[in-house]
Amino acid sequence: MKTRYSYLTLITIVFVIAIGFMLMISCSGNAESLQDKLLGTGGGFIPIENWVTTAVDWMALNLRPFFDGITYVVNRVNDAILTILNFGYWHYSGVFIINIVGTTVQFPLLSGLVFLLMWWLSGSIVTGLGGLVMLWLSANFGYWPEILETFSLTLTSAFLALVLGIPSGILAAINDTVDTIMRPVLDLMQTMPVFVYLIPAVLFFGIGPAPGAVATIIFAYPPSVRLTNLGIRGVPTELIEAGQSFGCNSLQLLTKVQLPVARPNIMAGVNQTIMLALSMAVVAGLVGSGGLGGVVVRGIQRMRVGEGFVGGLAVVFVAMILDRATSNIGQTAKET
Amino acid sequence: MPSIELEEVYKIFGEEPDLALDMLKEGKDKDEIQSETGQVVGVRGISFDIQENELFVIMGLSGSGKSTLLRCVNRLVEPTSGKIVLHTDGQDYNVVDADTETLRQIRETQMSMVFQNFALFPHRSVVDNVAFGLEIQGIDKKERSRKAKELIEVVGLEGFGESYPSQLSGGMQQRVGLARGLATGADILLMDEPFSALDPLIKVEMQDELLDLRQEMERTILFVTHDLDEALKLGDRITIMEAGKMVQLGTPEQIIVSPKTEYVADFVENADPSDVLRAETIASTDINPDQNNRVALTESVEVEIDSDGQVVQGFLSDTPISVKPLDEIEGLNEDAVLSTSPDTPISKIMRARLSYATTPVVIIKDGKLTGYVTERNILHGLLEKGRKEI
Repeated sequence: MKTRYSYLTLITIVFVIAIGFMLMISCSGNAESLQDKLLGTGGGFIPIENWVTTAVDWMALNLRPFFDGITYVVNRVNDAILTILNFGYWHYSGVFIINIVGTTVQFPLLSGLVFLLMWWLSGSIVTGLGGLVMLWLSANFGYWPEILETFSLTLTSAFLALVLGIPSGILAAINDTVDTIMRPVLDLMQTMPVFVYLIPAVLFFGIGPAPGAVATIIFAYPPSVRLTNLGIRGVPTELIEAGQSFGCNSLQLLTKVQLPVARPNIMAGVNQTIMLALSMAVVAGLVGSGGLGGVVVRGIQRMRVGEGFVGGLAVVFVAMILDRATSNIGQTAKET
Repeated sequence: MPSIELEEVYKIFGEEPDLALDMLKEGKDKDEIQSETGQVVGVRGISFDIQENELFVIMGLSGSGKSTLLRCVNRLVEPTSGKIVLHTDGQDYNVVDADTETLRQIRETQMSMVFQNFALFPHRSVVDNVAFGLEIQGIDKKERSRKAKELIEVVGLEGFGESYPSQLSGGMQQRVGLARGLATGADILLMDEPFSALDPLIKVEMQDELLDLRQEMERTILFVTHDLDEALKLGDRITIMEAGKMVQLGTPEQIIVSPKTEYVADFVENADPSDVLRAETIASTDINPDQNNRVALTESVEVEIDSDGQVVQGFLSDTPISVKPLDEIEGLNEDAVLSTSPDTPISKIMRARLSYATTPVVIIKDGKLTGYVTERNILHGLLEKGRKEI
């Protein structure tokens, strides 16, 4: 194997040098031609720019049903979550109105839900109360509908990112080839400046929450894959051996040993995904996804510093609520 | 009939095992092969049979291939070549050639394993850990938790069923591991340095517990350890491994008395032989009756034997004294010659002599006098590890 490996390395090196030579030869002559070839608009030696433009145009034209399908799914999930969030608001006849610091705060069931959920998930009543206070404070800013929109966009994207991400992570953990291929793709998804795919998303998914949600899913997908992969690969060998030595098949090994043992890692991935989804859901305000992102964008565009700041502060509170609610689900009291 | 048969089992780690196998057959050693081909020899040509209900110990230092060999038996490590056959439940299982599903069934029903670092599932309670194998066997929840609770009691963990592994001490965790291994009812138990991670006191306690458990349940146990004292204490037979090779196989006494190589001799140098050496091994066997059919054991002590070689009477300075079995000396307050069987460990004789007698202990085999143990025999046995006086 040692020898085979070095052949492979040799071939790779020769290949890279050859490409370098071809580049140099094709550019040799004068400086202008070099610039044209390497930096010129769309006409480089490898015209990736042209390819992407062509590909995006072609996709926008020919893959319409596919994108419509995605839009449909995203919108339905978003609607469902928004309906749940708005439950008390629209359908509960006794809309509870209280007055804090002179501002009317609508107080639907959501407040109670946030309180109970955070109390239950974090195991601490203080966290529950903190969540309640933060929710009231952000409601106090007067952006209640926007908060709900941001919540629902975040949860929609995070939900879909997890539905895609956790199975991908499992696959990457089981299969080294998948892992090798996945790694650069995830790097690309995480480090490509978001605007680069946020704007084309409008081409594909029209207006409304869908383009923002899709961009958010792309951004929030990698951590769930990475941490699921890491968690499963980090399961101690002895535990795998224990599972195998008692006659587990691969599915039993996955469901009875690997996934449960990797759960803290996977849950950390869930938390990360939700947090990244929130940050991206705000940026998605740029393409008209509404919510608190819209408030911030509006504030900046009209030079209303205060409005932008208040919108930003509401984002912080929403972030804290989501983080505290999800950071502890990894471990339950009995196991610590 | 042997319970596990190993025949010429090899394990080579690396991409081109055949190359390394050929070099092994040419007689090259582990280091040569590693530097020339990059292949690591884990186990080289091991063959032995393990009898039913035997506790067979594989002993060696780290890197000797002992854990690898153990894992070859349930194919957690895939043997490169060789044959491993199990004879359990009146059936033969060819482990090496078994396909995935057959192998899975063998693991599920025929053997279980106990691990060095316990390998308990952190997300499962003690009951659920113990019941794991039963769950894989598809036994329903009620039945498996009943069985699990039964075994939790056997290993002395009553009341901890609902605890989680992280709440237990190391010794308790390994009790859970042991219970989990026993729960499936598999005939073969593979134990990979199960007590190495435990404190010395807990370790001894667990060893005793294992010996007790052997009385209650019949299991063929393959036990891996790097601790010679543990091997001597537990093993019916011991094999010693060095650099993937088996250097000696024998009973604990054989290992102590006649180490085959320098390596084994170094090992046993500091071992305590008192529980291992048997009376027969250290005894004087020069039985020359005089004209009165008396055999002189020391200057003042003699025994009289009849024509069949049976001991009739003891004499202390020509005064008749009785002959008492070693086990019945409790409360004895007269002089007597003690008798015992050839297999009695010398620690037992030493204890008897300490609490009671100063007379030699005679050895009776099939009713006949075959030898006797004096103070000198004991001292010599301890110092020279039972090697015969020259």
